[in-house]
Amino acid sequence: MTTPPPLPAAMTRRHLLGRSGVALGTLAGLAGLTGCDDRQADQEPPAPSDPLAAKPPMIPARATRVIYLHMAGSPSHLDLFEYKPELAKLTGQPCPESLLKGKRFAFIKGVPKMLGSPFSFSQHGQSGQWLSELLPHFATVIDEVAVVRSVITDQFNHAPAQLFLHTGQPRFGYPSLGSWVNYGLGSRNRDLPGFVVLSSGGKTPDAGKSVWGSGFLPSVYQGVQCRTVGEPVLYLSDPPGMSRTLRRGMLDSVQALNRIEHDQVGDPETLTRAAQFELAYRMQTSVPEVMDISKEPKHILDLYGARPGYVAPTDAMGDPRAHYKGDDPTFANNCLLARRLVESGVRFVQLYDWGWDHHGASPGESIDETLPIKCQQIDRAVAALITDLKNRGLLDETLVVWGGEFGRTPMMQNDVRDTLVKGFMGRDHHPYANTMWMAGGGIKPGLALGATDEIGYYITEHPVTIRDLQATILHQLGLNPFRFSYRYQGLDQRLIGPTNEGRVVTELLS
Amino acid sequence: MRSLVPLLLLATAMSMLTGSDAPISFSLQIRPLLSEKCFSCHGPDATHREAKLRFDDEASAKGERKGGPAIVPRDPAASQVWQRLITSDSDDVMPPPKSHRTLDAAQKSLIKQWIAESAPWGRHWAFEPLLSADGEIGRGAHAIDALVAQGHAAHGLAFAPPADARVLARRLALDLIGLPPTPERADAFAAAFAVDADAAVAGYVDELLASPRYGEHWARMWLDLARYADTKGYEKDLARQMWLYRDWVINALNDDMPFDRFTIEQLAGDLLPDPTREQLIATAFQRNTMTNDEGGIDKEEYRVLAVKDRVDTTGQVWLGLSVGCAKCHSHKYDPISHEDYYRLFAIYNQSADANLWDDSPKLALSSPAQDAERATLEAAVAEAKTALDALRAADPHAVRKDAVVPEDSPQIVAAKKAWQAAKDRLNEHQAGIPSVLVMRELPVDKRRTTHVQVRGNFLNPGAVVQPAVLPLPGFPASAPGMRVDRLALARWLVDAGNPLTPRVMANRIWARLFGTGLVETEEDFGALGSLPSHPLLLDQLARIYRDEGAWSLKHLLRTIAISRTYRQAAVFDAQRLEHDPANRWLSRAGRLRLTAEQLRDQTLCVAGLLSGKIGGPSVMPPQPDGLWHSTYNATTWVNASGEDRYRRALYTYWKRTTPYPSMTAFDAGSREVCQVRRIHTDTPLQALVTLNDPVYLEAAAALAGCVLAQPGDEAKRAERGLRLALIRQVRSEEIAAVVAAYQRAEGSFAMAPDDAQALLKAASARTIAGIPPAEQAAWTVAMSVIINLDEFVSRN
Repeated sequence: MTTPPPLPAAMTRRHLLGRSGVALGTLAGLAGLTGCDDRQADQEPPAPSDPLAAKPPMIPARATRVIYLHMAGSPSHLDLFEYKPELAKLTGQPCPESLLKGKRFAFIKGVPKMLGSPFSFSQHGQSGQWLSELLPHFATVIDEVAVVRSVITDQFNHAPAQLFLHTGQPRFGYPSLGSWVNYGLGSRNRDLPGFVVLSSGGKTPDAGKSVWGSGFLPSVYQGVQCRTVGEPVLYLSDPPGMSRTLRRGMLDSVQALNRIEHDQVGDPETLTRAAQFELAYRMQTSVPEVMDISKEPKHILDLYGARPGYVAPTDAMGDPRAHYKGDDPTFANNCLLARRLVESGVRFVQLYDWGWDHHGASPGESIDETLPIKCQQIDRAVAALITDLKNRGLLDETLVVWGGEFGRTPMMQNDVRDTLVKGFMGRDHHPYANTMWMAGGGIKPGLALGATDEIGYYITEHPVTIRDLQATILHQLGLNPFRFSYRYQGLDQRLIGPTNEGRVVTELLS
Repeated sequence: MRSLVPLLLLATAMSMLTGSDAPISFSLQIRPLLSEKCFSCHGPDATHREAKLRFDDEASAKGERKGGPAIVPRDPAASQVWQRLITSDSDDVMPPPKSHRTLDAAQKSLIKQWIAESAPWGRHWAFEPLLSADGEIGRGAHAIDALVAQGHAAHGLAFAPPADARVLARRLALDLIGLPPTPERADAFAAAFAVDADAAVAGYVDELLASPRYGEHWARMWLDLARYADTKGYEKDLARQMWLYRDWVINALNDDMPFDRFTIEQLAGDLLPDPTREQLIATAFQRNTMTNDEGGIDKEEYRVLAVKDRVDTTGQVWLGLSVGCAKCHSHKYDPISHEDYYRLFAIYNQSADANLWDDSPKLALSSPAQDAERATLEAAVAEAKTALDALRAADPHAVRKDAVVPEDSPQIVAAKKAWQAAKDRLNEHQAGIPSVLVMRELPVDKRRTTHVQVRGNFLNPGAVVQPAVLPLPGFPASAPGMRVDRLALARWLVDAGNPLTPRVMANRIWARLFGTGLVETEEDFGALGSLPSHPLLLDQLARIYRDEGAWSLKHLLRTIAISRTYRQAAVFDAQRLEHDPANRWLSRAGRLRLTAEQLRDQTLCVAGLLSGKIGGPSVMPPQPDGLWHSTYNATTWVNASGEDRYRRALYTYWKRTTPYPSMTAFDAGSREVCQVRRIHTDTPLQALVTLNDPVYLEAAAALAGCVLAQPGDEAKRAERGLRLALIRQVRSEEIAAVVAAYQRAEGSFAMAPDDAQALLKAASARTIAGIPPAEQAAWTVAMSVIINLDEFVSRN
């Protein structure tokens, strides 16, 4: 009588996990699981039961890690990337009826007025790309990135659009991009989480933790939010009065008792749990170490504009937007941290920077006053991240992605006031055209892909959908977006959804 | 990449069912194969159907076609299916290579044998009526054991020996009420068990089922299904009051409300004749959908999403079907068409809620005393207003616009102040009256017309559809001519002609007790879900639940709990690890990691901290600062003081965008949508919670307080700590290990007395007279060792 192998039906063969009740490949002794202090990425043989053990890609990979910079709220493509002199000429004119017919807007009412950018644009780098004056540092690395000027989404409210972008569905309950990657490729460093989330701007994204949640994937794959204030990971620090020696001794007692139990009962899960305690112990050292940017030399801190130990006063505010300062280094600190994390083998680092929703309806959310402050907060840091990754030889294998969840209207938002008032110039949500950029990880540098019409309303060339973007990111990581799946509710669920609309944007690849 | 295991399991399950020479079962062996390999192009979804051939339909599969029928009963060679399976021509071979679906040799031969055996047809197994085991297997727990034993026999396995009495006492208590017994109760049980094991177990089980803690424990599972939370979800995620519904669930479970009534009241309590207040509260089940308060949204879009969520949740909770797949297109594998989905949607589309800011309709629940107080306060407001008006009337200019001076007069100012104060008191009183979101049907003249939504887009309406239940094969249909409303739907879900509901529920309960359901995919009993490992046992459990116990959950739990199958020891010997590694054949007890709620409750309980208070508004036990940063939401988390720090976990305030961190660490979901099962994981973040979360540290200190109250030497204290936590009798080497942990810590604290003080402070430890801080802190560390043991976080 042959006995069927113990594969749970809800999981695919390749991704057999160390779940409760599932047999382990080998029963590693407890001694072999302790005292490991080797933090070199990709060095240790994975524990057979470890669901985060590094796994080989499905197809040849161009990138091994991702830094995703999400500007929550959605910056205006028309004021940063899209030089539209025709739109400027139309400023103050009523929007043609043809652009409004059949369209849904979040806030615009009736017939709004057209709004050109108040900022000046010029061309930069070998590639001659247009950029506004708000991104002077980014302009210096423009030849390293591919700018996609034709991103389109089908969601026009923040939470659904963020969910669609990061989980492939505009609804709750689906795994985020980072957790998919964590599940598909595992972690390259056993002492650190495989998927780390850092946030700035004083708020978490509109869709909450679901944008780094694991949905129907096991929760071990969800993003771990590392905080820059307080403990970097919740409950990471030993309590006051518990020295490291005492902690080690206490854990030795735990493991001795676990060993007695394992001798009696023999459940392999006991060993898995014992190993997780050892990993937790190592994380107590490795996480604070990697999170401590004060170890960086001054020229690196200056490059990013980072300031170790900075606590943003806006973090404690109910509504921080009117209090943003251009020299707030929180995002810069996070960019530097992102580099340190990928350098240490973290697979996926997700940054969220809140405060980019520039409607012009209330103080602290305008195109003319708030957008320049937000750009000041990120411009130097983003350029530094690209430069630093490149100097360290990390850019080749690190895919950097930047963008919001949708674009903004070429019309002025008019629900509160329909005349231009200083500090209240605003644009509504616009799903039909947006700009994002990518760099490193096999992306063609110095590329401008796609174009919009002369007012930046519709895409005229190379539309890139959210599904295309997701397919491309997975593809670069060596995960075939069409076949990379997880069985749930009877279906092979995929990040790119059930239909085959998404495609790998080969034009972007080097 | 789908595993082939279910089909292999089935081969053995079938031989169990009918004997090894039995004919092949269409429902359990062939249909699953056709479904997985062929339905995506030859199944229920007409829009993707190839060659007008469908294998979900007997007439189509066996009908005449150009080139011959796909299936010719008794003649594999003449059957196109067989020819296309074995051809080497890559243009003809099925499934086509680009589908990445293949059949292995065993699967092909199964198809061939089935055709040779005349290719009998049937439904998907889960739609077939409940199977009846033959009379010899007996009733109740005996039937369970007999059917499990059949599985053992087929795999060369046997029952494990009975579990140790104290281990069983802890298992039963954790499973039935979510809390451990005291060591003394376990000892008493063990003594009775030694005399008459069956009687001891039966008596203990009844005692547990009668405890009010039972309803609290089982509510947890239902609240995951009901996506119960204390906030509205989405961007702002503002607060709402739903705890009255949570308390309704606890009470209904404690009263052992039959599941048919439990279903009807939650889905349609408001449509019952003269509904009681409780029946209206029950309807909050379907008001646990999210409300989006984000600026600039189309409220209709989110109203529609909430209705869809109700449809999907109904499918998941009662039918175990992913009905939601048919939102955008006909289901590819299960017989649910795009139109069927919107007929079901139409049933829910008549409720009055519409993603409104105030979450209406709501039911305010005031006590008679509160009603009386409101009347008094209203009278006070009226009186103040009258006084003001009288003053104004005395001044002939006062009510005129230009009467500036009189309005400023001291008497009027004072009267206005008094009036405002009275109004404030009334408002304050109103705000203190709990209210809960409820379902309410629109009046007849306001009813909505339901359209099919093309590709699931509510802005793209298709044909108009009328409300109807799902036309599942063999199920009762909606009565013709009758309006199908929520009440009709609820009754259909628990109708005797619906075999899915009792199967799904019985499987869910089994999974909570054994770790895995007999159908592993608890959320999917459809064509692509996993097949039952023990088809007869599943149906027997469904009968025990629905027929034998008249939908009594306590009856089902009692029957399982007294069975030999449940009472086995958790034995992991080489034989079982090799032949039954995942315990699919139930050759031992399931050894389960406690849920997030069980773990917190158990820890507080053994430390003597747990509050026994049942129900009421949700509470905020300590969590780290700075976790709540929702956009445009100024609500803050204020750590509770007093008893509310130590309430059972299910009373913890559940904010959807930021659930309580230690719950999330132990696999709880966000409660944004229905969660059928929590996939258990084992992570370092869990270790950090039990090591360092102040809640667990405080429990360690409290447990240290308990052992320090114990007279005797270090060994006696160590033993007491181990027993309080683990319940069972402990071995001398375990006592020695805890004593060693204590001594090492004590030595360390003796050298660093400040550390001892610091630890005790962090652990909110109470000063114990006559005990030096170093000693108290060292016992706290030793008790923390116990709280972090694998055995403590598990259920043996």
